[in-house]
Amino acid sequence: MVINPRTEFLLKISMVWRGIFSLLTFGVVIALWSGILTSELALWLKILLTVILITASIFSAIGAGQIYRREHSGRMISLVIDYLAFVACSIIALNTGEVFIGIDALGETFASGLPYLGIVAMGYFLGVIDEYYTQKKQLWGESSLKVVSRWVMLGGFVLFIFQVGAIDGILYFLNKLTQPLGILSVAGIALFGFFMWAIGRSESAVAMHSKTNHEQILSGWLFLSPNLLGFLIFFAGPLVLSLYFSFTDSDAFSTPNWVGFANYAKILNIQLVSLAYPEQLAKEVVNISVYDEVGRFTFGNSGILFAAADKYFWIALRNTLSFVFLAVPLSVFPALVLSNILNSKLPGMKFYRALYFMPSIAAIVGISLVWQWLYNATIGYINYFITLGIEFWNNLFNLAIIDPKIQWVSDEKTALLAVVLIAAWQTMGFNTVLFLAGLQNIPGELYEAATVDGAGNWDKFWNITLPMLAPTTFFVVSTTTIQAMQVFEQVFILMNPPEGPNNSTITLVLYLYRNGFQNFKQGYASAIAWVLFIVIFGLTLVQFQQQRKSSIYES
Amino acid sequence: MNKNLLFKVLSLLLVASFALTACAPAAPTEAPAAEVPAVEAPVATEVVAAPMEDVAIRWRTRPDNQEEIDVYTKISGELDTQLEGITLTYEPGGTESANYQDQLKTEVAAGTAPDVFWIPGTDVADFATRGLILNVSDLAAATEGYKADDFYAGPMYHLTYNPETAASGADSGALWGLPRDVSTFALYLNLDLINEAGAPDPRELAKEGKWTWEAFLDVAQKTRALGSDVYGYGASAWWGPYGVWLNAAGGGFYNADRTSCALNTPESLAGLDFQRSLYQDHDVATPYGEDPEPVFRAGNVAMFQNGRWATPGVRTVDFNWDVVELPKGPSGTAGNWLFWGAYVINAKTEHPAEAWALVQALTTAQTQGQISALGANIPSRVSQEALDAFLTFTPPTNNQAFLNGIAADANPTAEGPLWAGSWPEFSKVMDPAVQGVLTGATTVEAFGATICDEANKVFVK
Repeated sequence: MVINPRTEFLLKISMVWRGIFSLLTFGVVIALWSGILTSELALWLKILLTVILITASIFSAIGAGQIYRREHSGRMISLVIDYLAFVACSIIALNTGEVFIGIDALGETFASGLPYLGIVAMGYFLGVIDEYYTQKKQLWGESSLKVVSRWVMLGGFVLFIFQVGAIDGILYFLNKLTQPLGILSVAGIALFGFFMWAIGRSESAVAMHSKTNHEQILSGWLFLSPNLLGFLIFFAGPLVLSLYFSFTDSDAFSTPNWVGFANYAKILNIQLVSLAYPEQLAKEVVNISVYDEVGRFTFGNSGILFAAADKYFWIALRNTLSFVFLAVPLSVFPALVLSNILNSKLPGMKFYRALYFMPSIAAIVGISLVWQWLYNATIGYINYFITLGIEFWNNLFNLAIIDPKIQWVSDEKTALLAVVLIAAWQTMGFNTVLFLAGLQNIPGELYEAATVDGAGNWDKFWNITLPMLAPTTFFVVSTTTIQAMQVFEQVFILMNPPEGPNNSTITLVLYLYRNGFQNFKQGYASAIAWVLFIVIFGLTLVQFQQQRKSSIYES
Repeated sequence: MNKNLLFKVLSLLLVASFALTACAPAAPTEAPAAEVPAVEAPVATEVVAAPMEDVAIRWRTRPDNQEEIDVYTKISGELDTQLEGITLTYEPGGTESANYQDQLKTEVAAGTAPDVFWIPGTDVADFATRGLILNVSDLAAATEGYKADDFYAGPMYHLTYNPETAASGADSGALWGLPRDVSTFALYLNLDLINEAGAPDPRELAKEGKWTWEAFLDVAQKTRALGSDVYGYGASAWWGPYGVWLNAAGGGFYNADRTSCALNTPESLAGLDFQRSLYQDHDVATPYGEDPEPVFRAGNVAMFQNGRWATPGVRTVDFNWDVVELPKGPSGTAGNWLFWGAYVINAKTEHPAEAWALVQALTTAQTQGQISALGANIPSRVSQEALDAFLTFTPPTNNQAFLNGIAADANPTAEGPLWAGSWPEFSKVMDPAVQGVLTGATTVEAFGATICDEANKVFVK
């Protein structure tokens, strides 16, 4: 194969660049740990950077060798490393130019430029007229309107740019980029961009023995990269970080200290102690400098005391599980019934489908505030209608039913139920739509055959609809359970204080939020988050195992 | 020019302008046209000498409504002109989706918090001991005209507390900021209900020195008798409202030096028991835990306990109303709180001197008067001019009730952090336990037997 000199040269310098890059990254690692570069980095950040840089260094060195041998994997390695470095430099440059914190400025100034965008739209409209009214060409000459259209659009756009302050923005951005980090990142963009081009060229691909499928793989990863990078940076990264924090005493502000399993040990440190008599004080049976009473189970003249080093975690776990066991059936069973009704061919069903879906798309804060008013024990509509109903029955049958005047959110017996009702009401619509989709996938022939066999409506529902809906039901129950385990917003807005009367509405997510953001215990909050993850994972696993037993799902 | 190319260029320019506009400094917001009555009070502090070049200072405080945002924006504009060499940007903190404190703490952790920001008094210790806010004692010492005595003693005790020496005061070597404003509780009265019930006017009783717990209960019972949906008393479910009954009985949350729990002392339990009786025995109060404000606004509560911050909302009700100070308890005082929050300086600010200049300018009598004119708070500066001006911010007619609540002889307890422990942790233990008592789920005796065992764990051993 004949390789033109230009390509030969570009490949050679790419190979040299890979070697330099490998040495450079290795040097940065040494500088990082010797304190030459900076001494203020947290340990976890140092470790993370070291892992990334060493990996890049090793792969870069391997890539250099492969480019020398003209192996296509060297080209792949080179492109991936340079692409990632290019993206990193671009983000650093934008951050140095303060693009990410200028969103407020954008909001304030952009609206003022909208009228000028109207001029652009007007110019475009003139262009459209030019295309559709061909007769004007004879009157006004060739493309005169088109020219006007272009100039109007350009003029409008220039005015728009001035109006929104983009010129100031450019100058500000450039000014910020003159900082050492800005210059370095721009140089990085140019350098990595150049080598991406050098080795990405089709001539280089041919010289590196790349085949069509290699190019397709590269294109695939390139298209995937924005999502993949977003996932790694904004989801997987924080996830791993929170695992690290769960083994520290991090308060989010100072350098965290490694505490091993101390956070988990505190969460799981419990004691079950026999009571001599049901009313025996906790301090008589457990070390109250460590444990607090979570609850007691009494039977006859004795009982068992449940004490924990962190009683709020266990109360939160109890409340969360209670919430799940109430909210999930209440949002799944009615949804199943409702979807069967809405699946009928009765007139107006589309309207009702939309109606029942509305709570799912409404803002949760607004919904919770509305429910807060409805639940008000003294002036709320729910109690008002209960009172009216009781008065009606008392008057009609001369009864003496006492108005319960339920304190929905201020009585520990009803507070969690109040939250459950909101959550079930809100989730039901979404679940209904999922069930509807499942119902519409059931072949009509099954029902026709059942009808021929003389099956009634109940038989059809029990023997066809339910089994055929099993995959949908599994999905609905799993997602609703996971969602219910993470209940937070409804409680946070509805209850005042969010923990509710006697901690009756404190949930795991609320508790970890309180620890992380109000008690400066990010490390402990991370540990709670991971315990919650394990609980959710366990519950989902059980659901999967149960589902596997269903032959319908397996088939 | 090829049409497709033109559209490509225009599209690219549009996207670029989005990004680049984001780089542009925020457009100045016009100050509201409405005039706020200015307070004729002297500026008590000298502003630090301005530097030669303009420095940009961002500051933030938590506004309660758009009206306050407008006033703070206007003040920021005025101070921008007044403080030479400083360019100010005011950022209203907190949004519908982001709690003020959560947003602030996240920004502090990320290093993007403003140079000057407001925090509630209970947060000062957490911020100070973690090194998140600047100790400005040296700057204050070099500032001509600055005197700690110009502000209420309660907030300044905490703002000058030195955690290293456990000393407090002007020469403690610590100053964490200056109080933005103060507030206190009063009883908002529905005068129509009180007249209808034939109950004595609490304001008159207060003037005669007869406004005691017994008199309060009498008014509450008489108005409660007006109907099953009419209540004599209403208070929100947080530590402030229930704390005053403990304080007024001679008890309190902690011991004198705030190093251990005092919720189980006979005095504290007596105060709690009286409040419990309002809910459980006499049934004169709106159910504990239910928001009493809508009930009061609906005209169904005779005495609504709340702070000065509730005044703007109450001004819109359509019945006759006024305020009266809280009734005196067995200790001889009403046991009121002195609520406050402070402007503090970000420890990472690049311009501490300019930030300190701004904090002083924000706490002058004149600036505080502009904020107080909205009705939601009381100036934190002990200045007769400021207080005289406050009395003119009516309704309510009896503004003096608020000043009586924070007067020295009323001995209010200053809201504050726990330097020897964690206030959020203490509150986490105390709030549900008290709620248990007030809703009848727990007895006062059971509360007293266990509460401090748990609450004392939050103090540093």
